[in-house]
Amino acid sequence: MIYGDHTTGTIVQGATGNQGAFHINLMNQYAQETGGRGVVAGVTPGKGGQIVHGVPIYNSVREAVAEHDATTSVLFVPGFAAGDSIMEAASAGLELVVAITEGIPVHDTMRALAFARMEGCTVIGPNCPGILSPGEVKLGIMPPQLAMPGHVGIISRSGTLTYEVINELTRAGIGQSTVVGIGGDPVIGQTFSDVLARFESDPRTKAVVLIGEVGGNLEEEGATSTTLPLVTYIAGISAPPEKRMGHAGAIIEGGEGNAVSKIARLRHLGFPVAEKPSAIPALVKELL
Amino acid sequence: MKLLEFEAKEIFRAHGIPIPNGVVINSPDELRDTLDGFTDDVVVKSQVDVGGRGKAGGIIITKKADAVIAAEHLFSFPIKGLIPKAILVEEKLSIDHEYYVSITIDRSTREPVILFAETGGVDIEETAKTNPHALRRGGFSPLLTEVPGYVMREILGTAPKELGPVINNLYKAFCASDALLAEINPLVTTPRGVFAADAKLIVDDNALGRQGITANRDLTPREREAEENGFSYVELDGSIGVIGNGAGLTMSTLDLIKHYNGKAANFLDVGGGAGRERVMKAVRLVAGMPEVKVIVVNLLGGITRCDEVAKGIIDAGVEQRVITRLAGTNEEEGKALLAKNGYQMLDTMEDVVRQAVKEAAA
Repeated sequence: MIYGDHTTGTIVQGATGNQGAFHINLMNQYAQETGGRGVVAGVTPGKGGQIVHGVPIYNSVREAVAEHDATTSVLFVPGFAAGDSIMEAASAGLELVVAITEGIPVHDTMRALAFARMEGCTVIGPNCPGILSPGEVKLGIMPPQLAMPGHVGIISRSGTLTYEVINELTRAGIGQSTVVGIGGDPVIGQTFSDVLARFESDPRTKAVVLIGEVGGNLEEEGATSTTLPLVTYIAGISAPPEKRMGHAGAIIEGGEGNAVSKIARLRHLGFPVAEKPSAIPALVKELL
Repeated sequence: MKLLEFEAKEIFRAHGIPIPNGVVINSPDELRDTLDGFTDDVVVKSQVDVGGRGKAGGIIITKKADAVIAAEHLFSFPIKGLIPKAILVEEKLSIDHEYYVSITIDRSTREPVILFAETGGVDIEETAKTNPHALRRGGFSPLLTEVPGYVMREILGTAPKELGPVINNLYKAFCASDALLAEINPLVTTPRGVFAADAKLIVDDNALGRQGITANRDLTPREREAEENGFSYVELDGSIGVIGNGAGLTMSTLDLIKHYNGKAANFLDVGGGAGRERVMKAVRLVAGMPEVKVIVVNLLGGITRCDEVAKGIIDAGVEQRVITRLAGTNEEEGKALLAKNGYQMLDTMEDVVRQAVKEAAA
């Protein structure tokens, strides 16, 4: 396990909105199945005193952590306010913020991440599905029914594509240690290399699947930073240049970050690159 | 969103960056009334959102007397297919030297980074490839509101110190306008001081609202409809329509089509919570492209209700074949509904894509 386990106490910021309330319920259902602590409190400014799916709501993170033992926040706050909420969590002493929110202005993200770093708070995302350690803990919105416990870590910039890969691995009888969605934005708190560093000190993880996409070069940077056996997959080989492919970060700019050159560089460095998601399990089996 | 040169220059000017004297005109006639303000030679610049505009003939340096003719020409001169709605006419500067400066975001360090080169006015991507040492980089904490002195000294080297305040103001404009890129190429020194001869500004799409910008892009009617429905949508040139949920999965579906030698007609990410209505709209939108012969719907997610998605596909009732792969809640109900109405639902992404490629080729 990395980032959290069944003992992790979690708060949800943006707890009273549709998404926040819905996922408090799903995270706590999973906690019940795994014997975890789950979501112990929620935060929405001005909604203190309410109860959402049995979870008490507070006006601020400071008030919530004064009453509850929590180290982690899962954040559903709308884009324009989310940067501020990350900083609030960091200043209240939380160790980890998982920012699910899509659509945060990138300048807000950049400042919030710099601030969180000074406060010693780790941020995952934004624009990510969060973390799932099958059988242990779910911090975010990943559907746990596709996953099974095991020894392969997954790191991905995408949401549903990650579920596709989890599904392929599980169908092939390969379980997962922890799945981390690092987010589809150009600026994110934990990059491939940060997560790989965590996997290196996780005794459960024997190999890692790295799921990248067009835009930037964090995949290459991550792959070369680790000694763990890796299988990689890069989405977007058919993506035209200068077009934003859904994710704010998935754009080929000035000829940089296209899938063909990413794949060529990864292959050149000696990493197996799957041509399609269904080819991943066979490549993983060769490593185990 | 990319701003046009004159829009970027207005923002730069507001942040204290010297801009050449000029006027923006929407027709050649408007120039006749404003030409008096110019003394000698002028630069007539087509305002289109295209790189390599100068090389393509979109910038004309001319005598003041011939400016109207130049403007008339540019108003009907397409650059990479685009006709300008506006033209910027500026005084011609007497340039001593051209520099390059831009500020962007380094994904790896998660910080703003300044790029500076002592030779400006050229294609900077080319410089980065052929002479990477000519491009100096300086990054610093995004919590700072000014460019720190040590960074400025590093990037400027022996270049004139008078460039410093302009670069510092460019950083302020970069922050204030939620920019992903703020670029001056060239930044020029003249006997009258430093000027931004050109200007480029890309504003973060996630911040358009608070920047007070309503997207003014020239969207096709279909792109506009997609945007209004909150779909992420990109038009391509194949015959297989694609609808997915999530950017990565949708991209991956496109890639798989290419892998099996098919050609996708589009990228459409319906986003989270794909319900009946949204799916119907997405299917109709994609079916509206005349080239589309067959449509692939690839939806995966724990909370996606497959029966609702199936109803959306059936509601759409389009002429083309719709081949579906759904995984999520109520999968069996969805499958039964589709089968009853003559639609095919397959188990894997691989299967739907192969089937679609086969049918598109037939």
